[in-house]
Amino acid sequence: MASRAQSLFDAGLIADRWIADYCGPRPRGDVLCSAGDSDRAAWRAIFEELAQTAGDSLSEAGERAQRQAEDIGTGFRIAGESEERPWPLSPIPLAISASEWAGIAEGVRQRADLFETILADLYGPGMLVRHGHVPAAVVTGSPWFLRPMIGLNPPGGHHLHFVAVDLCRGPTGEWRVLADQLRAPVGAGYALENRLAIARTMGGLQSRLNVERHAPFFAHLREGLAAACRRAEPRIGLLTPGRLNQSYAEQAHLARYLGFLLVEGADLAAIEDKLYVRTIAGLKRVDALWRRTDPRLLDPLAFDSTSAIGVPGLIDAMAAGNVVISNAPGAGVLESPAFAAFLPALATRLTGDGLRLPNIATWWCGQPREAAQVVDELGSMLVAPAFGVPTRALPGGRPVLGAELDDACRAALLADLERRPQDYVGQEVVHLSTMPVVIDGELAARPFVLRVFAARDAAGGWQVMPGGFARIGGEADVRASVMGEGVRSADVIIHGPERVAAVSLLPPVDSQHLRRNPGTLPSRAADNLFWLGRYLERGEALLGIVRVLLGHSISADAGGALARSTIERIVALLAADGAAPAPVGHRRTELVAMARTAMEASEGGWYSVRAINRQARGLGAVSRDRLASDMIRLLDAPHPTRGGLLDRAGSLQRRYAALAGLSAEHMGRSDGWRFHDLGRRIERAIKVVQMLRCFAAENAGADDLSTLLDLADSQISYRQRYLTGIARVPAVDLVALDPGNPRGLAFQVEVIVGHLARLPVLNDDGVAEPQQRIATQIAATVATAAPASIDADMLERLEARLYDLAEAIARRYFLQGAEPLRAGGLTLA
Amino acid sequence: MMRYAIRHVTRFAYAEPVAFARCNLRLQPIDWPGQTVEDYRLTVLPGGRTAPARAQAGLAHVTRLVIEQSVHELTIESAANVTVDRPIPVPEAGDPTLAEIAAMARASRDASPLSPASYLYPSPRIAFDEPIADWCAEELDPQRGCREAAIALARRIQREFAFDPAATLVDTPPAEAFAKRGGVCQDFAQIMISGLRAAGLPAAYASGYLRTLPPPGEARLVGADATHAWVLLWCGPDLGWIGVDPTNGIWMATDHVIVAVGRDYADIAPIDGVVLGFGAQEMDVSVDVAPQD
Repeated sequence: MASRAQSLFDAGLIADRWIADYCGPRPRGDVLCSAGDSDRAAWRAIFEELAQTAGDSLSEAGERAQRQAEDIGTGFRIAGESEERPWPLSPIPLAISASEWAGIAEGVRQRADLFETILADLYGPGMLVRHGHVPAAVVTGSPWFLRPMIGLNPPGGHHLHFVAVDLCRGPTGEWRVLADQLRAPVGAGYALENRLAIARTMGGLQSRLNVERHAPFFAHLREGLAAACRRAEPRIGLLTPGRLNQSYAEQAHLARYLGFLLVEGADLAAIEDKLYVRTIAGLKRVDALWRRTDPRLLDPLAFDSTSAIGVPGLIDAMAAGNVVISNAPGAGVLESPAFAAFLPALATRLTGDGLRLPNIATWWCGQPREAAQVVDELGSMLVAPAFGVPTRALPGGRPVLGAELDDACRAALLADLERRPQDYVGQEVVHLSTMPVVIDGELAARPFVLRVFAARDAAGGWQVMPGGFARIGGEADVRASVMGEGVRSADVIIHGPERVAAVSLLPPVDSQHLRRNPGTLPSRAADNLFWLGRYLERGEALLGIVRVLLGHSISADAGGALARSTIERIVALLAADGAAPAPVGHRRTELVAMARTAMEASEGGWYSVRAINRQARGLGAVSRDRLASDMIRLLDAPHPTRGGLLDRAGSLQRRYAALAGLSAEHMGRSDGWRFHDLGRRIERAIKVVQMLRCFAAENAGADDLSTLLDLADSQISYRQRYLTGIARVPAVDLVALDPGNPRGLAFQVEVIVGHLARLPVLNDDGVAEPQQRIATQIAATVATAAPASIDADMLERLEARLYDLAEAIARRYFLQGAEPLRAGGLTLA
Repeated sequence: MMRYAIRHVTRFAYAEPVAFARCNLRLQPIDWPGQTVEDYRLTVLPGGRTAPARAQAGLAHVTRLVIEQSVHELTIESAANVTVDRPIPVPEAGDPTLAEIAAMARASRDASPLSPASYLYPSPRIAFDEPIADWCAEELDPQRGCREAAIALARRIQREFAFDPAATLVDTPPAEAFAKRGGVCQDFAQIMISGLRAAGLPAAYASGYLRTLPPPGEARLVGADATHAWVLLWCGPDLGWIGVDPTNGIWMATDHVIVAVGRDYADIAPIDGVVLGFGAQEMDVSVDVAPQD
C-alpha cells in the first residue's frame, strides 16, 4: 500500500509538471490549457495515469499505447500492404465533459434527422427544389445524386442508419461542423480499437473518470438495422469492396464485432426481387446490407453498368422492400460543400430551429450575389470545389486559401469562376483548437478534428457514440485547410460525475436463444479456408523435400548422404513441382542452390515455399473474420532471415507445426474449420500419393524408402513396428494403407469422408452427392488394397481421383462457373 | 411532317450457351417536342420476361429483359412508327446569349431529367478536358446568341474532324478522340458536349436514328445505317432544347428521330446489362428508317 500511495503521489507531481510545462507558453485556444476547473481535473487524471504506467517517460507511454493498438489491430490488419495503420494512436485521449458532450450529441441528432427529412424530399416529392430552397444545380452537381433512387421508399422507412459528422473546435471552444459523412463513414472501427488500447494502457482511467462505453452504441446500430428488416431474425451483411480497399481491415473487424456476414458482391445474388448469399448450404436470404462500397457500383442494372463488383437486381430488391441498404444509395448528395451553404436556412425552415451545431460559413458561387462576394473577399477566404471533385481551376480537388494563390492560379480561378461558378464554394478560414500530443518525448500542441458517429436505434431515434475518432494534425499550423486528414488519432473520452454501468455487447440472457451453429458460411469464405488449408500443406510438404535435400548436401558428413539415384528423384520432384530449376550436375553447391531457390525464391516465377506462403497469407487476409488472431500473426510473419539455410528451414517447419496445432486446437468445429481441414487432408493425401509414386517404385532402394518415411513423418512409426531394416512392402503399407498413421493416406481419406458426411447437402433424398461418392470410392480402394498390389498404375489412378474429388467439392460448394459478360451496346456510326 | 417506319434488329451470338441474362433495353423512342411515337413493338427471340424498369438516370423508356433459359442466340427486334414534325431552327438576333442560358440553367428549380440543371456537369463518360474546352471556347463567346453558337460549333467539328470508325471504340474517352481529330458520331457528340459544359452550358446527349435513304437529289447522311448520336443544347425556357448534329454539321430536324436523352452514352445505351456465361459474343445490328407516304 505504501508503495502504491508513493507512486500515486509521484505520478501526481509528474502530471502537474507536464501540464505546467505544456501550458507555460500558453498555446492559444488549447483544449487543456483553457479548460475550466472540473475539465482540468479530468486532464490531470489522464496524465497521472500516464505517469503511473510509464513513469517520467512520455515516449515510453506513447510506445505502450501504440503497441497495444497494434496488438489489437493485428487480428484484422493486412500485413504487407498496410503495416502501419492509417492513424497511429496517440497515448493522450481527448477529454470532453459529459455536459459539453450532451450539446454535441444533441446537435448531431438534430443534423441526422434534418438530413433524413431532406433526403426524403429530394428523392420523393422534390418540394425543396421546386420552391427554390435548394437550387436544382446544387443537387445535380453531386456525383452522389443517384436519379434511379427517385421514388424509391427505403425499406424500414429511412435513408440513413449510420452517419458521421466531422467537427472542429474553435479557439474559443465552440464546436462547428466541417463535413458530413453520409455514404459509408469510416472510423468507427478505429474508435473502438483506440478505446481498447487506451483501456489496456491506462486501466484505471475508465472508472476514475466514469468514461462512457462504446458497446451499447454498437448494439443499437445492430438492433436498428434489424428492426428495419421484414423478417424477425434477419441476416445482415457487411458489403465490402474487397481486401484491396484501404479500410478492409476495419470492415472485417466491425463485421466480426457486430456479428454481420462479411460479403462481396460476388457472394450475393438478387433473384425475383429478393437478395441471397451463396453459401455452402445453397442460397440464403439476406435482409440488410451495411454497405462500404461506392454506391454507384452497387447494381450494374440501376447505376454504373460497367460495375463488376455489383449485384444485378439489388436495387429492384430494395424497391420491393426486401432488402434494407444502409445507407440508402444517393444519401451522399448532402455531403457536398455546396449543400452546406443551404443547410442553415433549411434547418430553420424544416425544424423551426437553427442548427445546434453550426456549419462553417459557406457561399455557393452558383448564385450571382454569393459569387461576387467570394470574388471580392478572395483574400480572406478558402475556395473549395463545390462537390468535392476536382474542377478546372482546382485540379487536385483540394481547397486553396485565396490569400496564398499566386497570380497565375488566381487568374485561372477567376476565369473559371466566370465560366462555371457552380463548381466552387467560398468558405471562411477556420482555426482549430489544439490538444496535447507526444512528439520526441515532449508534449506539443497540435490541431485536431473530431469525427462523431450516430446510429439509428430500433425505435428509429439516433444514438450517438459517446466519444469518437479524433484525428490530429502533423504540424502546429491551426488552419483547418492545412491540417488535411491528420497524421495520428486519439481516443475520445466523455467523462462525467455519474458512475457508468458496465454494459457489454452480450444481450440479456432471456432474450437470446442458444445457438451452437455459428451460422451461415458463404461459399467464398469456404473456398478461401479450403485453399488456405491446401497451401499450408503444400508448403509444408515442399519444405520437407527441401530439408531432405539440405540434410544430404550440408550435413552429409553427419550421416545425411543419400544414394545418387535418390538424389536424382528428389531433384526431379522439385523440378516437376516448379519449385526450382533442375541443376546441371549434382555437386553439393548446386544442390544447396536448388534448395535455396525452392525455399526462398521470391521472384523468377519459382513455386517456392515462400511463394506458397505468400498465397496462404493472402487467403489468411481475406479470412480474418474467421481465424484466430494467433493464426493470422503466424501467417503474416515475414520469411525468416536469421541463421543459415537449415536454421531458416527449421524455423519455417516450426511455424507450419504451430499453424497446424492452432487449426486443430483453436478453431471451433464449424463448417469453416471443416473446409480448412478438408483442404489440408486432400492436399496431404495428394502429396503422400506423389511421394509413394516417386520413392516407392518397385525398384526403390533403401535410401528411397527412408526418404519416403522421412517425408511422410513415419520413421518412428516404422521403427516401432519393424525391427529389421527398411523393406518396400511394409513401408508402403505404413504410408498408404495403415489407418492408424496420421500422416498416411488411409487416415486422410477417412477424415475426408467424415467431413463430407457432416457438411450440408442440397437434397434430403438421401442420395450421395458427387463429392461424397468420389470420396467413398477412394476410401474403398484404399481399404481393400493389399500392400503388394500398390503399383504405379494404381497410384496414378488414386492421384487422379483425389484431384477429381477436389474439383467436385469446388463445384458443389464454391462460387464458380458463370462469369458475367457484358451485353455490349450497339455499334455506332 | 415525316412519318417513319423504324426497324432496329440486334442479334447476339454466343460461342457457348449463356444461362442467364438480365438487360436494360432502351429501344422504345420517347415522345419529344416535334415527334410522336404512334405505335411500338418489341420482339425478343427466343423469348424472355420483359417488364418496365424502375426510374433510370436518363430520359428513356427502359424495359428490363430477363432470360432464364440457356441460349446460343438472342435476337431483339424493336419496331416503331414515329411522326416527326420539327422546323429547321433559324438563329435570330433576339436569341438568349450563352451567358444568359448558363445563368438560367444554374438558377433552375427543376432537378428532373428534363431540366437543364441535369446537364451542366461532367458525367461518367464525358469528363472535363482542357484542350477540348479551349478549342470549343473559340465558338462560345458568352455574348453570342445560343442557336448561332450551337450550329457554328457543330459545323466546325464536322469540318475539322475526320469520320473514321477505325479511330475509336465505344468507350474511347472524348479527350482521345479529340486528340486524334477523328471518330464517329458518339465521339463528335461527346466532344461537343464536353466543350459546351466546360463553358457552363447545359448540353445533353441524344441517341436515335437518321432516315436511311435521303430525299431524291440529296446526299445520304453519315450514320444512317446504325444508331446515331447528336447534341441537345438548352436554349432557355422559350426555345427549349435545340438539337445539332456535329457529325453532319446540321440541325436536328425531320431527318432525326430521338430514342433517348441522357447525360452521356451510359445513361441511354440501347442495350446493356449482364449475361452469365463463358466465351465470346458476337453482335450484329441493323437499322432501317423508312419514310412512309
